[in-house]
Amino acid sequence: MRIHRKRGWELPDHAATPEHVALNRRALMAAAGAGVMLSAEAQAQWLFGRGRSSNDPWQRNPADLPDLPPAMRNPRYQPGRALTPERDPVTYNNFYEFGSNKDIWPTAQRMPTSPWTVKVDGMVEQPGEFAVDDLMKRIGLEERVYRLRCVEAWAMTVPWTGFQLSKLLEIVKPLGSAKYVRLETAQRPDSMVGLRQSWYPWPHIEGCTVEEAANELTFIVTGIYGRPLPAQNGGPFRIVFPWKYGFKSGKSLARITLTDERPKSFWETLQGNEYGFWANVNPEVPHPRWSQATERLIGTGERVPTQIFNGYGEFVASLYTNLQNERLWA
Amino acid sequence: MSDTVRPARRGAGRPAGVPWPWLDRAGRISALRIALLVALAAPAAVLLWLLAAGALGADPWKQATREAGNHAAHILLISLAVTPLRWIADWPKAATLRRMVGLAALAYALLHLVLYAGHLGWNLLAVGAEIATRIYLTLGFAVLLGLCVLGWTSTDGWQTRLGRGWKRLHRWVYLLAAAAVLHAFLQSKARADGAVVMAGCWLWLMLWRLLPGPWRARPLALLALALVAALATALVEYAWYGAATNLPAARILAANLDLAAGLRPAQGILLAGVAAALLPLLRRLTPAGA
Repeated sequence: MRIHRKRGWELPDHAATPEHVALNRRALMAAAGAGVMLSAEAQAQWLFGRGRSSNDPWQRNPADLPDLPPAMRNPRYQPGRALTPERDPVTYNNFYEFGSNKDIWPTAQRMPTSPWTVKVDGMVEQPGEFAVDDLMKRIGLEERVYRLRCVEAWAMTVPWTGFQLSKLLEIVKPLGSAKYVRLETAQRPDSMVGLRQSWYPWPHIEGCTVEEAANELTFIVTGIYGRPLPAQNGGPFRIVFPWKYGFKSGKSLARITLTDERPKSFWETLQGNEYGFWANVNPEVPHPRWSQATERLIGTGERVPTQIFNGYGEFVASLYTNLQNERLWA
Repeated sequence: MSDTVRPARRGAGRPAGVPWPWLDRAGRISALRIALLVALAAPAAVLLWLLAAGALGADPWKQATREAGNHAAHILLISLAVTPLRWIADWPKAATLRRMVGLAALAYALLHLVLYAGHLGWNLLAVGAEIATRIYLTLGFAVLLGLCVLGWTSTDGWQTRLGRGWKRLHRWVYLLAAAAVLHAFLQSKARADGAVVMAGCWLWLMLWRLLPGPWRARPLALLALALVAALATALVEYAWYGAATNLPAARILAANLDLAAGLRPAQGILLAGVAAALLPLLRRLTPAGA
């Protein structure tokens, strides 16, 4: 295993964020507080008043959000693209618990992300409930820059901090009978106003096979751009499958269950023909309503060809050699 | 039925020359028309300004495309509301504004398409292929073509040339508006609230046209209309979720009676309909002839 130790001369990633992407976050919070959330046009106004303060919206209570333990970037995973400016991943989010549009981040600030515990249960030798802070210390953190491909044909390049899911699985020791991993998002009615729309199949469920969970790419994320993961990005504890469409990467997880039954995911329940269980990225299989051949890079607006498995085929293609009868794409 | 005002004095007193939108039919500068022009142009100006300033969020061209499309559909529905407004508010002048509103809807629909092409990186082949292969885009494009025909034939000259056929041709706008609403439904993801509101407005506007003449400005009849339109909206919403999604349509229908679920589209239509029903009363309170 690679051991990473932070050296004094190493610049933490957030310190290297270009100045032009730093937000005027105070103006932004003021706008949010004033309820200027009616349209994207109104929402956008904060961008005009740059340059006074640069407090992150998710660090308003520094006492609640201790710094992440140090994490070194893992050079094994090269994105081949420039990082997306930080302001985009933290302000452009799908998270239906907080609302069905993409500007839910002000609402998401209402959810406390610390302390947070995650229950791991089901077909494991050692089930347990783990405090995220303890897990981070126990397993140790690394940073990985992954390409993120949304099913809506846009893409970002994001530095995630976290650890391989397989290391958590080593702790709980799955039984041989376990075939799937069920990922359950927390339900916090106090802050998750979307839950009031009771007709959605809450809680939000995602899932994968045990083999997919054990893959080296499958990453538990607790930080982004070197900072604690904010709620809108699935803080404080989410999963990322970089070779699948983004909706598979469940957010703000409360429970991970090993099971022999294939979980039926939130989007599979809603629209199985558009958002299936496997949802591996494939440019040749269009979404029913749009082509998946290209993707728009958030930040630059450039349109580039989409790659099969989002370019991660060398790591994951072998997972699917015996699954040709499954609807592996989308 | 609805188009009673226009034909009476077509072209009367109109000077030859450019029919600038801020001139009334007598060729005078009209404050009302200027105000309307500004109101119709403002959303596009704001949208393009925000797009140029990079202030439309992470996926600005997609956002701009969506907003222009919403504006187009809303303005198209507003153009269908001009005649009801003329009767309910007893405001004959309203009818002279209808052409400008209709042309604005066309302009926003064109802008919607241009922004969509920009969203696809100006790859016109991809734009054509998407329009040809995705049914909701084919439908939207057909609506745009229809609006182009109506816009092109909206002039005084074409009114004269087509005679009685002009009205028959321009009644297609009801169908085009319905198709635009369907386009909005088909592109929605899990939540179709915006499209349901549009459908509710369309239903109210069509049902109003079915009212017998003398009832069209009576508060009680309009109250009943508001109720019927709201019920019809709830049914359309129920039918959409039941037929096109796996969501429990019955629970969404029941949410119309639940205030904790937030303002539901049918409730919004009811409120708007009640407001419209109060307009004649308000009108009685104001001095005549404004």
